[in-house]
Amino acid sequence: MNIRFKHHLFISLIILILSSQTTFAQETVNKRDLSSDNEKKIKNTLTNDAWADDVWGDDAWAEEQKSPWALRGFIEVGYGTFTQDNIIDATQSLSELTTRFEVDYQHDSFDIAAKADVRYDDVLNKTLWDTRELNIAFSPLNNLDVKLGRQVLTWGTGDYLFLNDLFAKDWQSFFSGRDDEYLKAASDSIRTTYYSHGITFDLAWTPEFTSDKYLTGERFSFYSPQALQQVSPASDFIVNKTNNPQWSARLATSNNGIEYAIYGYHGYWTTPVGSKITPTGQMAAYFPKLNSWGASVRMPLVSGIFNAEYAAYNSSEDYAGTNPFIANSQHRILLGYESEVVKDLTTSVQYYVEKTRQYHNLIQSSSTPNLLVDEYRQLLTLRLTYMTMQQKLIYSFFSFYSPSDHDGYIKPSITYRYSDQYRFSLGANLFFGQEKYSFFGQHQTNSNLWLRAKLTF
Amino acid sequence: MKNLFWGLSILLLASPSLFAETLTDVNQIIQKSNLASYYAGDDGRTQARMIIVDSQGNKQMRQFTILRKDKADLGDQEMLVFFSRPSDVNGTVFRVTKKVNSDDDRWLYLPALDLVKRISAGDKRTSFVGAHFFYEDVSGRNPAEDNFTLISSDNGLYTIKAIPKDLTTVEFSWYKAEIDTKTFIPMKVTYFNEKDEAIRQMQVLDTQVIDGYTTVMHSKIIDLTNDSFTEMQFRGVQYNLGIEDNIFSERSLRTPPKQWLR
Repeated sequence: MNIRFKHHLFISLIILILSSQTTFAQETVNKRDLSSDNEKKIKNTLTNDAWADDVWGDDAWAEEQKSPWALRGFIEVGYGTFTQDNIIDATQSLSELTTRFEVDYQHDSFDIAAKADVRYDDVLNKTLWDTRELNIAFSPLNNLDVKLGRQVLTWGTGDYLFLNDLFAKDWQSFFSGRDDEYLKAASDSIRTTYYSHGITFDLAWTPEFTSDKYLTGERFSFYSPQALQQVSPASDFIVNKTNNPQWSARLATSNNGIEYAIYGYHGYWTTPVGSKITPTGQMAAYFPKLNSWGASVRMPLVSGIFNAEYAAYNSSEDYAGTNPFIANSQHRILLGYESEVVKDLTTSVQYYVEKTRQYHNLIQSSSTPNLLVDEYRQLLTLRLTYMTMQQKLIYSFFSFYSPSDHDGYIKPSITYRYSDQYRFSLGANLFFGQEKYSFFGQHQTNSNLWLRAKLTF
Repeated sequence: MKNLFWGLSILLLASPSLFAETLTDVNQIIQKSNLASYYAGDDGRTQARMIIVDSQGNKQMRQFTILRKDKADLGDQEMLVFFSRPSDVNGTVFRVTKKVNSDDDRWLYLPALDLVKRISAGDKRTSFVGAHFFYEDVSGRNPAEDNFTLISSDNGLYTIKAIPKDLTTVEFSWYKAEIDTKTFIPMKVTYFNEKDEAIRQMQVLDTQVIDGYTTVMHSKIIDLTNDSFTEMQFRGVQYNLGIEDNIFSERSLRTPPKQWLR
């Protein structure tokens, strides 16, 4: 398929979806003067449509609860383009057609969930199968829930910031403007949750380490401190994987509307933040061991929600921080507050600090100390969500800004829910920074604009 | 003899409508109305569906099951709302702890991310999942927020005018509630702006007596400024099921309690 043909394919799909509906609903809310004939108007409204039974359309309640089977899914097209020259081979940041199949089976004593995507990914020129869920959930005891199989796991209190949630993330999807759902990657795990006296104990065991879908240079480029330049190694990015397990635990309770939790993790860094020489003499990236513990609290505060979270990361292969090829240990602290400041406008702010624990040793041992992050890497985030037209039109703005790295990342988007079946969204991933090696600064050329159309069935 | 007396008392208490006398204390009417509308039984379960119709006639549908448990009549309540339709919200669960003396606690479970999101109590007069019903219409407006005046009591209806104590928290200036004198169900509530123009109206289209409680089975809210509206219907209503307290917890978000959802 040549590029022009692919573009035609994409545009045809969009037209297909658009043309299958009539014109877009326009918000023409004419405030009428009701002062003279209030009652008459009310009566008119009633006689015009209120008593018509056919207002319910099919007039049938969805019977899905009666059948143990439920089938759902969607078809989505997405297209995105880089806003700057990028050293990546592809010119698009996103160009794909995704079909989701979802099958649930409910039995009295267990549930089976299967959810998978078939995606024609034009950026990679491949058709990919992605199983999001394939699990069985049951309660072997009154106060014990078990979910076994492929699943998405989440906990913690951060918004796009993760401290104690070390479950797999998909940064490629996040950067390319796919739905937020894809930020969480699935893992093959067993989650057991035990409830007793208002306390919840979660234990998640991932028998085979599941890493993040980190940047490899295939879709997005990144800065290499070894090469001292932006690189896009793609398949040349050699990463040694481990097959060992990950353990994640959480103990949670709440009292008077205040939620408390403590967390533990035993496993590996979820991105390849270590490098070592392989037996063949090559330098290869790998996932160093990581243990962590932490705590969080979330509570109502002056008509909003306040949250605080802490995590201690122990990079146990280099606890002294003297090996420049292994990520240092960290303290991570997050404070957040969310409130609906004006009707339908929700604002949330977060302040996040990542302290490198053996900073002195890191500086001393590094061959490129000038490229290192500050001892206290700080981040401020702002989220604004404005909903209008009966929540059918949603404006969303999210920004990361680091006063220590002098860089940032802005994610604006607009989503229009045309109907229960059709949804359209467009947005951007915009990176900026003073330095080309900093956390977000390195992604400046990865900045992109995207749009998506989704048909749910 | 004593038993007969108790029997009669219970009969009288249980069916006040038989011997209904016209009340004149507006606060008593409001209290009874609040009780009848939101506190029937000690707990309850219902299936509900809404059709949301915009001013162009475009329709959206929501279907969900509600579980409710009262901590005390006219007091705090626990509520869970399990969404099943449309398919993109299937599995979404909304949890509220309604508190009479402070802000409600609210959570939303998003199954695709396995995320339990806490929502700020904020503005209760915000659309409930895109419908013309506000959160406050679903869980009940706190009577302490308004001053009431009884305007008339005829044709089987108490007509009451309510003026909010704090006008900055609402989008209307006052409202008129027409409450059935027998059942104490508000059959029609009309909201007016500062020019005394009707801007919004709630109507009860159908009620049924279930387990002795008069229950709204079909209601509608119209935005009179653009004629858009939402209709809500209920079915499978049951009261006094004995739903345990621990059902109203984070566990039910991830693992919906099947025995109560059938």
